[in-house]
Amino acid sequence: MKKLVIGAALGTMLMAGTAFAGPYGTAGCGLGSIVFGSSPGFVQILAATTNGIFGNQTFGITSGTSNCSNTGGGTQSAQAFIETNREALAKDISRGNGETIKNLATLSGCQDPTAVGATLQRNFKTIFPSSDASNTQVSGAVINVLKSDKTLACERLI
Amino acid sequence: MTARIALLVALAGCGVVAQGPYTRDVLRAPVDQDRQAYIHALKIRAHQLHLAQAAQWLRLGHWRRTWSGDYESQADGTNFFLSPHGKDSPTQELDATLEGFFSELPANDPRLASKNVQHPICQFPARFQWLSEQLAIDPAKLPAHDCSRYEEFVKSLQADSVTLVFSSYYLNNPASAFGHTFLRIGKKNALIPEERRQLLDYGIDYSADVDTNFAPVYAIKGLAGAFPGTFRKVPFYFKVREYNDFESRDLWEYKLRLTDKQRDFLVAHVWELGSTFFDYFYMSENCSYHILGLIEVANPDVRLLDDMHWPVIPADAVKALYDNPGLVESVEYRPSSRTRFRHDIQDLSSDQRDAIEALADDPASKMSLGQKQSIEVLDAAQDLVDIRYAKQLIQDSRDSDGARIKQKLLERRAEILVPSVDAAEAVPWSKMPQRGHDSRRVALGGGADLQSDRWAAFGARLALHDLADPSDGYPDLSQLEFLPTRARYDVTNRRFELDQMDLVHIISLTNQDRFDRHISWEARLGSQRIDDAGCRTCYAGHVQVGAGGALSTPTERVTAFVLGETHVWSGPRLDGIGGAPIRIGIGPAGGLRLRITPELVSLLMGEWDWLPEQTGFSTWYASETLRWEIFHDVALDLEARAESHRQSGVLSTMLYF
Repeated sequence: MKKLVIGAALGTMLMAGTAFAGPYGTAGCGLGSIVFGSSPGFVQILAATTNGIFGNQTFGITSGTSNCSNTGGGTQSAQAFIETNREALAKDISRGNGETIKNLATLSGCQDPTAVGATLQRNFKTIFPSSDASNTQVSGAVINVLKSDKTLACERLI
Repeated sequence: MTARIALLVALAGCGVVAQGPYTRDVLRAPVDQDRQAYIHALKIRAHQLHLAQAAQWLRLGHWRRTWSGDYESQADGTNFFLSPHGKDSPTQELDATLEGFFSELPANDPRLASKNVQHPICQFPARFQWLSEQLAIDPAKLPAHDCSRYEEFVKSLQADSVTLVFSSYYLNNPASAFGHTFLRIGKKNALIPEERRQLLDYGIDYSADVDTNFAPVYAIKGLAGAFPGTFRKVPFYFKVREYNDFESRDLWEYKLRLTDKQRDFLVAHVWELGSTFFDYFYMSENCSYHILGLIEVANPDVRLLDDMHWPVIPADAVKALYDNPGLVESVEYRPSSRTRFRHDIQDLSSDQRDAIEALADDPASKMSLGQKQSIEVLDAAQDLVDIRYAKQLIQDSRDSDGARIKQKLLERRAEILVPSVDAAEAVPWSKMPQRGHDSRRVALGGGADLQSDRWAAFGARLALHDLADPSDGYPDLSQLEFLPTRARYDVTNRRFELDQMDLVHIISLTNQDRFDRHISWEARLGSQRIDDAGCRTCYAGHVQVGAGGALSTPTERVTAFVLGETHVWSGPRLDGIGGAPIRIGIGPAGGLRLRITPELVSLLMGEWDWLPEQTGFSTWYASETLRWEIFHDVALDLEARAESHRQSGVLSTMLYF
């Protein structure tokens, strides 16, 4: 019994690698919708005390690659990448450089990540018109900007 | 004890267990006589070679010997076994596997629609490869099989390298107290440099499927192994955003030295594990344990799991890698947003720091700096806002303060059409988890007090680290102890006494400055022996919580802290409030920690508590601990302590193991 009591205290701390089998949100592949499911308040406490919090079948080994877990390149995977990395990417776009821009350029098949950074920075206000812009609006806008600047030659975006 | 756990689990409800159909129910054994004869010959050959007892076969099926000496597989999903007795019999599973390779799935069976059901060659590609090699199975004799789902999986990974990732401790996030481990499968792409594609790698993560958020049920089920644990394939960028940004945890990455064949074998085995689950035990069979099991399968020469002891702490997984010389090829470091921010502001002027602070509160505030300085300030202010409002931002609360302040800052930054430079990160090599002392500790020594009592002192601790322990590999300002216990054999009075036994004792100190206002705090739950005016050697349960602030030098070498503490003691012989057996104490505590070298730490602590309406009125103590790690995992500990009516000293040797 003692082992169990010790463990109970430890257990609440040692949540190394737990996942909440929550529903997948409807707002695209936003990090929040996947981390917290559709009921942020409810799951929040749990998420705060757990560790690996991505529990849904989006990531099952044998369930195949889903829209939100595709990193193979092309429009769909670029979209998922933009939505999940929104906060980090927004910063990088305002700075015209950064890891998320370089990886996005790779996914989109663009030749020169430096040029991609400059173009996105110039178009910051188009991509992020206000703090209310939804994740799907943002991903649509980024892809539009990349596609319409032909000099970038982002050949994997169709 | 087992019965009680069973009852608790029953009350809590059972974990979600994957339901059928199972491959073995759908499979049809070959009727063709040639094939039957061939299978028979293979089985005989396998028995002659004792393949069922071969280390690699046992690893592939995750069979371990139980205390009774029989084999049992740690895998708990029915579909992981082609024989109904497979969980307990490596031999029967081997026979069933050989037969399975030559069996067929009836084309029009409706059960084929389930993702559970695959042809054994596709479901168990690692078993198939290994047995093919051992028995020289003739591919021409195999039935037709379509492994397109497995092939798609392999193609999505494009595996080139395998890296064990350790996400480090950060006590202000309770989840990260012990860290976490998972694998990153590096993608093959010679044309594009790694920094431009690493986020697109996949992480292979083993975690529990939690189906409750009621904490007590959660803890009990977690300990009793009532949550199923499964492997997942997650884009690495999820992990980076989750750990680096949201939880402010640094990532340490250990690239493994594997041959191409070993790497591909690991990938094949990940796929096999995708069709099962393991009962997830927080303390033993946790994320670190099964990730190591995967690496063992890849390289039969490495030994990882045998050296794991209870409890399995994620940092132990890293240490286990280093117990196999040559297994770690290189180490990389990916700092958290918090670490990056700290690093980026180091070289900034005081004007710039003022501007960062102002911008994080009011993103429209005026700035009179040159362009380069402005860029540095705006970039740092963005990072600060990300850290401060991490929760709002990840929850996608678009009309929150965090989102609005950030938007305005980003707009200001984007107006300066000059790209920021990639930050060069200083890697804190001394904090690599494998450099830390081992997680368990015992102590043996002698003590004396001015009343001429003499005693032998004993100490033991299950995990993990306190403020005076050798500091390499651990955060300087955090203490996380489980089951710290102290006892003595009083030579003068010939008596054995338990001085203190805590379940948990945590101290989390955060240097307060203009950018970080996190409080410092302490929490403790356990029991201790009280020996003062209010009670002569009584044993009492003890709960303590405290909060306050800390100040530290930039390298965290000198740290001072003050905490307001509240204690509640309860014990049958206590003469507490109004004569009741409950005692309450409230008062200030303080400390000064000095890291003289990473191996030599001095910790001065003191506390005074008011005991309202209780005998003695107040109680106090002051103590100085000097701990010196003389060899790796061996330390000398000198503690001098003064209390209201007693002064004592203890010298002991501590052993981390």
